[in-house]
Formats: sequence, structure tokens, C-alpha cells
Amino acid sequence: MPPFKDEQIIIIAPGSETTVAQLGLPESFTPARLRVRSRMFPAEKEGEWEPYKVRRRQENPAAKAGDAQNGVSEGAAKTIVDGEEDEIQYEEDRVSEEGAVWPLQEGKIVNWSCFFALITHVYNTMNPPFHTPILLIAQPAWTPREHEKLTQFFFEKFKTPAFSVMDAALATSWAYGVHTSTVIDVGKDKVDITAISEFIPHTQGRIVALPGCGGEALTQGLLSKLKSKGLNRAMCEQLKKNAICEMLPVGVPIPGTSDSGDLDAITNPAAAASTGALGSGPAAASAIGNIPRGPGADTEVGDDLNAEDNEGVLDVASIVAGGRMEEYIAKIDKQKQEKATAPKKGAGALAAQAKAVKLPNSKREKATFMYEDHALLDTLKGMNLGTKGMADAQAALDEGPQKKGPEVTDGADGEPKSAVEALEAGSATSRTGPIRREIEVGPERFQAGSGGVLEKIADAVHRTISSVSEVNKRSELWDSLIICGNGSRVKGFKDALLSTIQARYIISPSSATIFTSEIPSNISTPTGTGANTPQPQLGPHGGSSQVNPLLLAATTAQNPHLMHPGNPLMGLSTHNSHSSHGQTPTSIKLVKPPEYFPEWKDVGFDESAFLGAQVAAKVIFVVDQGQSKGYMTRPDYNDQGPTGIHDYSL
Amino acid sequence: MNISNSTTAPNAGEYAGDEVSAIVLDPGYSTTRAGFAGEDVPKSVCPSFYGHIDSDPPHYLFGENAIHDPLGNLQIKNPWGSDGIVEDWDTATKVWEYAITSRLTGNRPGDPTKNGLNDGNANGNGEAMDVDMEGLENLENMEKPLEDSPLLMTEPGWNSVKAREKYIEIAMEEWGTPAFYVQKTGVLAAFASGKASGIVIDVGASHTSVTPVLDGMVLKKGVQKSPLAGNFVSNQIRMIFKQAQPEIPLTPHYLVKTKTPVDAGAPAQATYKTYDIPPLDSFRYNEEERVLTEFKESVVEVWPGPGRFTNGTNEEIAKSLPGRPFEMPDGWNQLFGSERYRVSEGLFDAGAALQDADNPRPKDEHTIPRLVQAAVQQVDADQRPLLLQNIVVTGGSTLLYKFNDRLNYEINTLYPSTRNKLIAPGPLVERKYAAWIGGSILASLGSFHQLWISRKEYEEHGTNIVEKRCR
Repeated sequence: MPPFKDEQIIIIAPGSETTVAQLGLPESFTPARLRVRSRMFPAEKEGEWEPYKVRRRQENPAAKAGDAQNGVSEGAAKTIVDGEEDEIQYEEDRVSEEGAVWPLQEGKIVNWSCFFALITHVYNTMNPPFHTPILLIAQPAWTPREHEKLTQFFFEKFKTPAFSVMDAALATSWAYGVHTSTVIDVGKDKVDITAISEFIPHTQGRIVALPGCGGEALTQGLLSKLKSKGLNRAMCEQLKKNAICEMLPVGVPIPGTSDSGDLDAITNPAAAASTGALGSGPAAASAIGNIPRGPGADTEVGDDLNAEDNEGVLDVASIVAGGRMEEYIAKIDKQKQEKATAPKKGAGALAAQAKAVKLPNSKREKATFMYEDHALLDTLKGMNLGTKGMADAQAALDEGPQKKGPEVTDGADGEPKSAVEALEAGSATSRTGPIRREIEVGPERFQAGSGGVLEKIADAVHRTISSVSEVNKRSELWDSLIICGNGSRVKGFKDALLSTIQARYIISPSSATIFTSEIPSNISTPTGTGANTPQPQLGPHGGSSQVNPLLLAATTAQNPHLMHPGNPLMGLSTHNSHSSHGQTPTSIKLVKPPEYFPEWKDVGFDESAFLGAQVAAKVIFVVDQGQSKGYMTRPDYNDQGPTGIHDYSL
Repeated sequence: MNISNSTTAPNAGEYAGDEVSAIVLDPGYSTTRAGFAGEDVPKSVCPSFYGHIDSDPPHYLFGENAIHDPLGNLQIKNPWGSDGIVEDWDTATKVWEYAITSRLTGNRPGDPTKNGLNDGNANGNGEAMDVDMEGLENLENMEKPLEDSPLLMTEPGWNSVKAREKYIEIAMEEWGTPAFYVQKTGVLAAFASGKASGIVIDVGASHTSVTPVLDGMVLKKGVQKSPLAGNFVSNQIRMIFKQAQPEIPLTPHYLVKTKTPVDAGAPAQATYKTYDIPPLDSFRYNEEERVLTEFKESVVEVWPGPGRFTNGTNEEIAKSLPGRPFEMPDGWNQLFGSERYRVSEGLFDAGAALQDADNPRPKDEHTIPRLVQAAVQQVDADQRPLLLQNIVVTGGSTLLYKFNDRLNYEINTLYPSTRNKLIAPGPLVERKYAAWIGGSILASLGSFHQLWISRKEYEEHGTNIVEKRCR
């Protein structure tokens, strides 16, 4: 078999929300070129699937004529004329997701035929030549049996010459180039947490598909807070992706609440008495920097938005569907005009607005974002308005580009998000794209994690690392956390998660331990009288001036011990080996992302599993050429069948 | 092809290649281990505990993620009885099934799309992916989780006849396995260390057992068990906390929102979490157990000898040794001195165990040295030296620091004239999963082929066949 070349390699990484893939490895590794929403639409015939929504449409002759020049949906939409009946037309709607089937749920493959159709679609889109090895990134939730099924599928459907499966968490650690790490992969509906030591994932204790913790949970968290204000799920989803939605670290107060709102402020009176500080812990520390903010100038801006807001957040789709569209459009028009005149009212308002803009998002009480109303578009499409009516309605309803909303949020749309969004944003600029409206939200936007998402993840991280039986490896695992996955894209998520973990699990240097664990015990310690004991470095919890009686006990305890040097079982060497049995973690850190991938730096390392897969693909297919059984070849498959994959995959 | 030498793996055909998909299930009180035969570690290690919400219909939750999620009114239960034999068969079946399906086969019963595809795939041609959706309803009833995998299960040495028959009944009727075998954990643990004869000391969560194995057969009358194991040590730790002045509060992680560093011995300053509908006490107990496990890993030490902990000046020496600190989830921390020896001493010396009203003094004959003694007693005198040369130590609780030193001391005191050798595998997975690993080795041996009880035999002879065939 001729050796594989870089440009022949296919990498596919399916996810619950997005499946990414690429044909060929570029010189410098780039984020995946092909991004597909992980969903298919059931075709007419059961068991067959279409990549796009196919709408059945009754054509009226007039629109039919116009159809040839400007397609009703995208220019790319092709109409399939049904053989029997000329009147029934089918059009592909590339934006709509109505009736879609998502074959991956919580990382598990729940609908195999749909999943296979998705993979086939991805494969065909890349249009690969023959002799393409395939590397599949596997979700941790996939079982060995499912790996076999996939192996069979890839060999028999695509006749691939070589195939390998790589665990997503392992791929992530390859991307970061670290041998020991704890990978926290935040997905759509689930979180996977894997402890990897020396490139070997600990399968026994890994947390697979922790439900209710992914990006969807954050959306639901926003929804639960904003439902009363009339926002629906789709709005919250887009709000979550917007830069104004942010998760604040533990102890950072939510703007508008004068005190730290999410903390119940149980600051210990005892601590206040002894340390003289107002409170204790990170909450108090951050409270010091917390300048109380009353309703400032920015609310003024918000005020006249509010009037519109009352209408704006309503479910426009249902109004339109209810046939009151004209009425609504008229209202919108009126508001638009008012709005246009508003800035003329006075320079003062403008200045106030500009001032508000300068404040960082986390300090502002209110912010607005552009909402792309897909549901409304779908409703319009379903109304058979015809080409002209459709365009008119869209123009009337769209508040997007022609209106200059608060500048801050406008730019946020183009924020470096995942490439999907960039792609979608691109399509949105076309006139037929989704209808945009402006929505303002208050401090609720900081409460995406209010459902306890971070706590759940933090607890799972603790369980994962605690399940590693080699106690001495744990502290290294705590020191190398990797938070990845598109669910963690929400602004501030990583910091908030890290601070949650730290607030709950970090073991602070105990005042009783400084002589037993910090100093090697064979170095003689200060004499036990406490007279020449150095002032203990009590660190965060401020020193008490008296000598701690426990310290005294700890130091005096050393002496008789040193008087029994003859006892081999109590030798110092054995003691030192036990010192690795100390509790963990004493520190918690994130791994720094690799710096030598410029293309990845721009978009962030949330999909680093794909980067790792590129590295791995290069190594196993090109460098190693199968010598260390990094992949399964077709002859291997013919010999051993699907079960052989376990001998080959990484 | 590779030229085989000592370092290359054997070809699939060398071992029973057609049996590689056998599944080995090693259920225990704390965890249930499952995996494919021929692999070196079980791929699936699931807690044997399960969640139960009393509602109508009752709601059961399985798996690591579910049992640590503080849901309202959640209680945590365990299907094992206090005698080391499964008590609640219905949920035990579900727990085990979860261990197999969640991480190994993924073949969830009642998931029609998957089941349908299995059959489509079996055709093996490229068009197989076009599943026919007809007949899925029929398939759903028929599909069972283990339809195409033989199953090797492990059982404790004292398992009752009834329990063994229940094992095969579950495997055959509920899971539809084509072939089944059950083997005692003691034999398998010995196999994992490459021994056909020896004494297996297995200190688990709920029970400690000592099993004499001769030529791959368990000497049934020599099997000893006692409840002095991991859970006993946990209870001892709880008593230390309770009897301390002032009492040491044991707050599990799920109740703590954030903690703040405090001085040793000072009351905790943490922000706590409250739940509208809190989980029930058994949930808290199970979460406390996590803290105790951490305590065992980082603080508890077995008095290594010489002499017992309570003998002579040993306690004084222990007091003088540097203590080890422990920080609770709520930030409370303290140095533990000689107590940390005390909690594990009961395993070896019943008199040294802490006692209170709920925890009476353990029986003398339940301590590990007495168990070993009783087990060896049942063996022919001329076989004893052979057994004592192969003392296999396994089970999670043997990972207590210095456990082996003490065990070695105790056995040498009991049998000063023989050459006694402890075999305690260094790699921790081998120590924890020895019985499973032994099962994995056994089930992948070509010669094991003939031992399987086939479905046909089961149908012919009924559950009783397990008594005849699995000795």
C-alpha cells in the first residue's frame, strides 16, 4: 500500500450540535474547514435522510415564473420537481431547522440510521479521492461495541483503506501537548471529564456524559430567568452566544445588585472579629472593589428602548401567523421613525450613551443584542406569501442592518465565535436571511449558570480526579485542567468554572501542616519551645499573633520521633513516601493553550480535540505509517472484522 | 505480518479468537466491574449503589452521575445484603445491566432505532445502512442486552446455591446470554497473580474474605469471611469524629458552596448550600463516605508492627510521630495523630476497635489474622507451606497505607516456621480489580471453551446445572 500523504487524510469529529470535518492536513493546522450542524431531516421515504429541510410547496403560476430568476430561499436552493405531479414543488431550505432529527444526544448515538446518513453527507461534501485514511474522533459515551459498528460502517460504506478511532479527550490532550491532564469537555447537553495520565485516559473513573451541564443547560438557565420577560428559548440561545452574556466568577457581584447577589453573604462574624476584615474569602475580597452603582445614565438609554421592548420581545411569529402583521409592521415603522429622531433630542443623551459603552459589560446593568428570528422567518415561509410579499415583510420586520443600534452590541455579532456562526452570520447578511430584532436584557444575562451547572461540573471534576487510585498523580491532574468544548464558549465560563472549583475544593496550607509536609522531615525543625519558631506563614487567613498550640504540638512531636532512629519501620524514608498521600488539590490551574498554532489562536481552543486529531493523524498516518498499529487497514479489517479495531485505535 | 517473538501480542486465533467478545462481570458491594475478556482492566467500573426516588411509579437512577446528583427525596441504596449475598435481585440485575450496557455494549433495551440497525448491519453489505423500519416493534421485545456475548460472572466464596441459580437465571432469561459460567472471586484473584494455589486475602468494602485455593479449586470449608473491611474502617472514622472533643462535623461536599481557610481546629467558615427539597439521609451518608474515602487515602495508616498498636509503648510511639492533616469539605482542618492508627487497628485486633452503642465490639474470630488461621486450619497439614508461600492480597481496602507490612508481621507471628510470602501486585488496578482480571484471563483461554454452560444445556437442565458445572 502506498504511504498516505497529508492531503489525503480525513478527520471527522461528530458532536451533538456540530460535526466538524476536514480533508487534508494543511501545513499549519487550522480549525476544521467543514462544519455541519449535526442534524438530518427525514426524507419522504422512511429511513432515508436529507441534509436540508425540504419543503413541499404549492406553486402558483406567477411565483413559478419568478422562481427561475431569484429563488425563494437561497440562490443555491434547487427545486426538485416531483415526477408525477408538476404542481408540487420541493425546495431546500438551508436555514430552517424545523423537524430536524439530531442523531447524537448527550454524546450518545441515539439514531443510528440518521447518524450514518449524517456521516455520509459529511463525507460526500468533502468529496474525497480514493486512498483516504479516516480518523474518527469518538465521543467518550460511545461504547466499544459502538466503535465496532462504526468501524464496520466506515470500511464497508466508504471502502476506506485505513481507519482509526481516537477518544475526544485524548485528542484534546494531544492538542495541548501535555501527557497528564484533566479534560473537561463541555458539550451541548453534557459534560465529559477525563483524567489522562501519561497519555492514558483513566477509563474507570471518567465522567461520561454528565447530563444537564452543557451549553443547553446554560440556555435553559437564561430562559428560566428571562421567561417572565417574554424571551423564548431561541432568544436565550442567541443571547448566550452573544458577548453580553457572561458568567461571573465566584464572588463577583452581579451589576445592579448592590451587594454580592449570588452569595448569601454568610460572612462569618467570628472571622470579622479575629481578622478585622469585613468578611472572609474571595467574596469579601471582591466586595471591596465593588463600587455601588445606582441607576445611571445608561438606564436613560434603556428607558426609551423599553417602550419598544415591550413589543419587541413579544412572540412576533405568532402575531404574524395570527394575521395581524400589517398592524404590527405599522407600529414598528412608527417606532423606527421615533428612534431616528431620538438622538437629536440632545447631546447629553448621546454622551451618556457613550459613557455607558465604555463600561465593561460585567459592570453594566443592561445591554442589548441582535436577535435573529428564525421562527418568524419560518412562519413567513409557511404563509405562501410569494417572492414579493416575502421580501416586503422581511424588510419591514427586520430591525437589523439599517438601524444603528447601540454600537456595542452590533459588533458583538461578528465576535470571533465558532466558524459556524461566522458562516451563518455571512448568510444572514443576505437579504433573505433571518429577520433581526433588538432585545434588551438586564442582569439576568449573568445568570446562565444559575441552575447549578458550575457546581455540578466542579463536583464531577472532583470525583474524576478522586477516582484515580494513584494518589500521587492527583495533584498533577489538578494542576492541568483543560476546559474545552463549544459549551464553554460563553464569555467568562472558564474563569467562573475555575473559580468555582477553587472555592470548593482547594486545600489550603493548614496551619498544622507546615512542619510536617512543607519542610522535608529530615531537616531539623526549630526547637519545640516555640521561642525561635519562625512566624508561621498563615497566608490567606491572616496571622494570629499567638503561637498556635497545634504548631507547638507538631514541632514537639518531632523530637521523640528523632530519638528512635533505630526503628527501621519508622524510618524517615517510609514517612516521605507517605507524604505523597496528602490531600489534593493544593493548587488548581488551567493548562496554557499551545502557542504555535496561529490559526487556532484566533478562534480559541474550544475545539482543540480537532487540533489534537490533526496532530494525531499526522503522526499515525504519515509519520508512523502504521508501524505501531495506530490505525486499522483494510486487510486488517478483512482478517479480523470490526472487533479488531480495539487493537488499533488510540 | 509480524514475526512473533516474546514481545508481540499473540494472534487473535491463538487464544479462543471467537470468544473475545465474552463479557466478564465482577459485582461487588461498592463497585461493579465489567469488561471484555482478554483486556487487562475492566472498561466499566460503576458504583453498585443506586438512587431511588419514592414516587409512583418509583424512579430508579443508576450510574456514577446519577447517584451524586442531589435531587429532592433521593435515597441511595445497595442491592447487597449484610451477609455478602445479593438481597434485592431486581435492582441488582438493573445495576449490573447498567454496568454492561452503559460502557460496553451500549445496547439499551427499549431503544428501537439501535436494535433495528443491528439487524440491518448484520447483512454486511454497503446498503445495510438503509434500515427497514418495519418489525422494529417486534424486535424491541426480543432484543436483550447480552444476546451475542458469553458471560463470566464472579461470586463470593460463600454464595448460596439459590443465589448462584439466580445468577444464571438472570443471565439466561433477562439478558439472553448464549453461554454462562460463574467462578469464585478467590480463584480468579489467584489466577490474576498467576497462581493456581494459594491463600487469597480479599479486603473489600463490606466483607473481608480469606479463601484457600488448591490447584484452581476453592476449599469450600476453608472459606472465611468477616464484616471487618472498608466499611468497618469508615465507621471507625465516624466514631473518631463523633467522640472527638468538640465533635468533628462531617459535612459532605454537596452541602458546601464555598469554603474559606481557617486555622487548624477552628470552626469552619463556609457558605453552605440549601436545597428546597433535600435528598434523604442515605444520600448524605453516601456522600460522607466520599469524604471518608479521602480520609482513608490521605490520613489513615495501619500500625505496621512490631506488636499490636495497643501493645506496650506502641501507642506512645505513635503519638510522638508527626500527625497528618486533613481538611474537610467545609474547610475545617486538624492534625490527626495516633487516631489515624486506631481506626484501622480493629481489622487486626478486635479489642482495639472503637465501640459505641451502634457499633459493638467486633468478634475476635473476625480479625484478619484469625481468619487466616481458621482458613489454614482447614487445609491438610502438608499443603500448608505451599499455601503460605502464595498469600495473594487483593481488594480496595488493602490499599490502606502500611496494610501489607502489618499483615506480613501478623502472618509471620502466626507461622514463624514456614516461608510466608505475600503477593500484593504493585499496580493499584491489579490490586483493586484482581478478581476481574483473573476472570478476563480465564475467559480468554482457549481451554476454557469447554466449560461454558450453553443456553441449550440450561434449557435442558434448568438453573440447577450451575451447581453441577461450576464448582
